[in-house]
Amino acid sequence: MNDLLELLVSATASGCVYGLVALGYLLITRPTGIVNFAVGEWAMLAAFGAYVALSRMEMPYPVGMALVLVLMLAIGWLTERLTVRPLVEKGAPPLAPVLSLLGMLVVFRESVSIGFGADPQPVPPALGFGRFEFGPLAGAYQSFFIIAITGLVFTGVWYFFERTLTGKSFEAVAIDRRAAALMGVRLGRVTAASFAVGAAVAGLAGMLVSPNVSAHYMMGMPLAVQGFTALVIGGVGRVEGALLGGLVLALVEQFTVRYAPIPAGLAMGVPLVLLIVFLLVRPTGLLKAREARA
Amino acid sequence: MYTFSKAIRTVLGCALLAAVPAMAQNTIKIGMITDKVGPAKAYAEPVSAGVTFAVKELNAKGGLLGRQIELLVEDDQGRPDISATAARKLVDAGAVFILSNSLTPATQQVQTVTVETKTPQLAPSNSGDTLTTQISNPNFWQTGPLGSTQIATLLSYAANKKYRKVAVVSDNTELSQLTTKAFKAGLEKAGIQVVSEEVISRGATTAEPQMQKVRAANPEAIFLTGFLTPENALILRAYRQLGIKSALLGNFNFSTPQTTVVAKGLLDGLVFVDAFDPSKPEVKRFVESFKKETGNEPYNLNGYGYDGMMLVAGAIQRAGSTDKEKVRAAMQATKGQVGVMGAPGAGYGFAEGKRTGFDPNGMVVRVYEGDKQGQVVHTGTK
Repeated sequence: MNDLLELLVSATASGCVYGLVALGYLLITRPTGIVNFAVGEWAMLAAFGAYVALSRMEMPYPVGMALVLVLMLAIGWLTERLTVRPLVEKGAPPLAPVLSLLGMLVVFRESVSIGFGADPQPVPPALGFGRFEFGPLAGAYQSFFIIAITGLVFTGVWYFFERTLTGKSFEAVAIDRRAAALMGVRLGRVTAASFAVGAAVAGLAGMLVSPNVSAHYMMGMPLAVQGFTALVIGGVGRVEGALLGGLVLALVEQFTVRYAPIPAGLAMGVPLVLLIVFLLVRPTGLLKAREARA
Repeated sequence: MYTFSKAIRTVLGCALLAAVPAMAQNTIKIGMITDKVGPAKAYAEPVSAGVTFAVKELNAKGGLLGRQIELLVEDDQGRPDISATAARKLVDAGAVFILSNSLTPATQQVQTVTVETKTPQLAPSNSGDTLTTQISNPNFWQTGPLGSTQIATLLSYAANKKYRKVAVVSDNTELSQLTTKAFKAGLEKAGIQVVSEEVISRGATTAEPQMQKVRAANPEAIFLTGFLTPENALILRAYRQLGIKSALLGNFNFSTPQTTVVAKGLLDGLVFVDAFDPSKPEVKRFVESFKKETGNEPYNLNGYGYDGMMLVAGAIQRAGSTDKEKVRAAMQATKGQVGVMGAPGAGYGFAEGKRTGFDPNGMVVRVYEGDKQGQVVHTGTK
């Protein structure tokens, strides 16, 4: 029983990281239809930002974290202005920005690899590397920190979309881009903001996971794959779906490794097999997107 | 006046153009395939830095056979398809010897070119046991410490512990899986049962489920065969978090300095194999001259590259020519060449019919004292 509850904490923390990366995808995909596989590299960039701010410059954690998030907002905004908007304005086909962003993925990764070298670098955790025990629930301080921060972020994003007028304008663009434009919503501003916030959310995932996995130039791609899988499981249409998808993926991953009576090498493939089966049964994901009301 | 100076410049230009190929023909070309952007970059670059340093040192002493050495470098991104193309490019450019500092599958792929073109090839740091056995290539040698040597050295060190039940934890890289295979074969030969075998995949965010399984199996020792430093840090973190008390014994990757950086506070008591003995005179001399030349403190991966280039230089020197067949024969005849790597008294050499050159008794065992790599506590397999 202790093992199970310990694993529940660990899997929930991993699921939160996947969920944040999935949210990074979703914030961009919903209003623009663009799938941005560079979200993993954004997470990597923020992990290196955390390494510089917290390990090298030894800034206080909240200050370092805030600075990196501001930097990620700027990187997301710049990515949209420089690599997406010119293509959209020139009437490029919908797949062109996806390819352009794949190119940016390589640019981000190689810039870090040249600038920081290939060795992994340490990032300190917010509350130290200790272990917290609360009754039968036990786990690393960082696991509980990840869960708490992710909870706050998802609550905030949900509130933004559901309860604020600006948030509803984003949702309107997601439902019908043309109609939203006719109603006075500025599409360019919505797109730029979605990239900026998407980069900050993906960056937060990178910062939160980096004390465990360290900051290294190859960390982006696995996170991008895990986040995308979580997005597909949860459904691309709803904020809470990203978190749900992340949690389901992490729970299946970790419980399969721990309890399934199959060789260790095969256990890693089980979540992907499950994903295929899941998509066959429920192609829209766990949560369906809202549609335009008649 | 203008016409005169133009004429002089033209003559000088032509002379220079004529001199460049003559100079290029005079050098001995050594090809090096490394990974500058792919997954092996963290390991390939320091090995390549060791090769580059050796070439500088040799050239400063007059080069080989009275000619300077020219290092031709190709980046294979750790990809086997690119590696083979890079090898062919090096052969076409006139490389006498090729050094492979990349992933095992990429190095294997280069062999398809070197076996066909009869070009000597050396992998100075690869440790997979099957590199010289899968392709019958008399032009290929390997001088990294084999997985089978690593486990034999660790078991020799731990002989008095009389382990009966152990766990093996690896990652999903090709090299880690090859090392696991070698470790399991060594453990089986010693009559030790593997009660838990776990794999951490590249990019995992935790190793807790795997280490929980290890804890449940209650092994006396855990052998670590992973090569990915971040994933190794995850294993060590889960080990401490879950309060596991089994002894930890790691492969030679735990000797890289970056391990101490990312796994700070998690290393105390970890036993690991190494091929770098800081007390050896050759190591002291290497550390001093490398630092003087590059400004950086060298470590074991630099040493593998340095030794590899010195083995190549030795073979060309003994061959007295750059004829590939003569160089091949001279390389195969290498016996007891002392390098930076290996325990005191150990030397590189190739037994009859064998192309693995690291001394089976050349590894040492060290133990982490806090986050510091301790002195050598055991040598060889006896």
